[in-house]
Amino acid sequence: MKYDVVVVGSGPAGTVTARFAAEAGAKVLIIERRQEIGVPVLCGEGISKKVDDYNVLKGKRWIANNMDGARIFSPDGTKVTLDADMAGNETGYVLYRDIFDQELARGAVSAGAKIMLNTCALDLIKEKNKIKGVKARYFDEDIEIEADVVVGADGVESKVGRWAGIKTVLKPKDLETCAQYTLTGVDVNRAYCDFYLGKKIAPGGYVWVFPKSKDVANVGIGILASLSSPGLATKLLDKFIDSHPELKKGEPIRFLAGAVPVSEPYEAVMDNLILIGDAARQVDPITGGGLIACLDAGRIAGEVLGKAVEKQNFSSDILKEYENRAAASFYKKMKRNYAVKEIMLGFEDKTLNMLADSLKDVKFDEISTLELIKALVLRHPSLMIKLRPLMKAAKR
Amino acid sequence: MVKPKAVVDKKKCLACGGCISICVQDAITMISDKSTIDKDKCISCGICINTCPVGAIYWEGKLS
Repeated sequence: MKYDVVVVGSGPAGTVTARFAAEAGAKVLIIERRQEIGVPVLCGEGISKKVDDYNVLKGKRWIANNMDGARIFSPDGTKVTLDADMAGNETGYVLYRDIFDQELARGAVSAGAKIMLNTCALDLIKEKNKIKGVKARYFDEDIEIEADVVVGADGVESKVGRWAGIKTVLKPKDLETCAQYTLTGVDVNRAYCDFYLGKKIAPGGYVWVFPKSKDVANVGIGILASLSSPGLATKLLDKFIDSHPELKKGEPIRFLAGAVPVSEPYEAVMDNLILIGDAARQVDPITGGGLIACLDAGRIAGEVLGKAVEKQNFSSDILKEYENRAAASFYKKMKRNYAVKEIMLGFEDKTLNMLADSLKDVKFDEISTLELIKALVLRHPSLMIKLRPLMKAAKR
Repeated sequence: MVKPKAVVDKKKCLACGGCISICVQDAITMISDKSTIDKDKCISCGICINTCPVGAIYWEGKLS
């Protein structure tokens, strides 16, 4: 078996890369260790409406709910409402992520990519240190797939990166450990995605309530691994649901666990290899959202892979264009948000309450930075000192 | 000195991959959709035990 590009992993990063590489003329194979694309869903299922700009999805079957915006609740329950335009990566639509992933895979196949399910990558094929493809197990048969480029789209636990010698181990302070129920029979406001902050609620993270309809919602939690103890994510999530009657009356139709890198982007390219998506830590360190980054990076990677095939040059010099363009597109924001994350981790609940109290009546669709600062300082002058490092980070 | 080792309760593991991504020893792999820890590689740091969102990893054995 010989391909131009073999993609390990059939999540959005993998299938979008495959699609654009195939469109650019590359012979592409996607391998997936599971027997179904998109399952199990490991995701809060929120996405920004920016997804519409990428034109990679047909129809609307992947949309569960169309959101008006987001509401952030501070530790004492003060509510700040953001419109969809202001709420950033995580609100816009709530997805059926399994259908979403399968639609993206359909796009890759339409462009000419091949897919092998039940195919678990075991190692890289290397000759004199040159990467020549992947060794894999197809059901119980060991196979070798030769390829000029291996794309590691194998998620947060990326093995492809490790096999290539890239240090992909995450520090516990750079990983959110997550749990989520999909609850039915709940009573939620279907217009808003809700976020709950506080050290007791979710240390180093947040609880989310993303409605899929008026009586079904994803209720999940992410906490920083460095602040976690065994099973803490699930325990805190259960506690949160118990203290919210509108959620407590529901029953779970799905339970899942997840892990999200919240780190800075890092080296994702070498000769004959690229990493993408969670494997390349392409996730917003504040929100933990990574879908739009996948679409962005996947399109860039696919185009660059097409050029590499045309030139028959698969060295890091050529592939580096992917990293450079991804950097120009969203790495700067990731780095800034990583700095903001570090600062916000130091905030006491009291500070978050003051912040929320200052912002609760602000209309976010018509505000300028100056007005924002005025609103903050008028109500709680002491916030100014706490926020100074944030302003600095924002200017970067 | 024999240290206790981290072990995965396969009934509880939901295959999120969190433990694999933070293991400095590269001791954990996903086998048939369950995290599996190589006891020979495990250095008993306990990071995976704390990280697991569902409490599926525990200590096995006593300090002896």
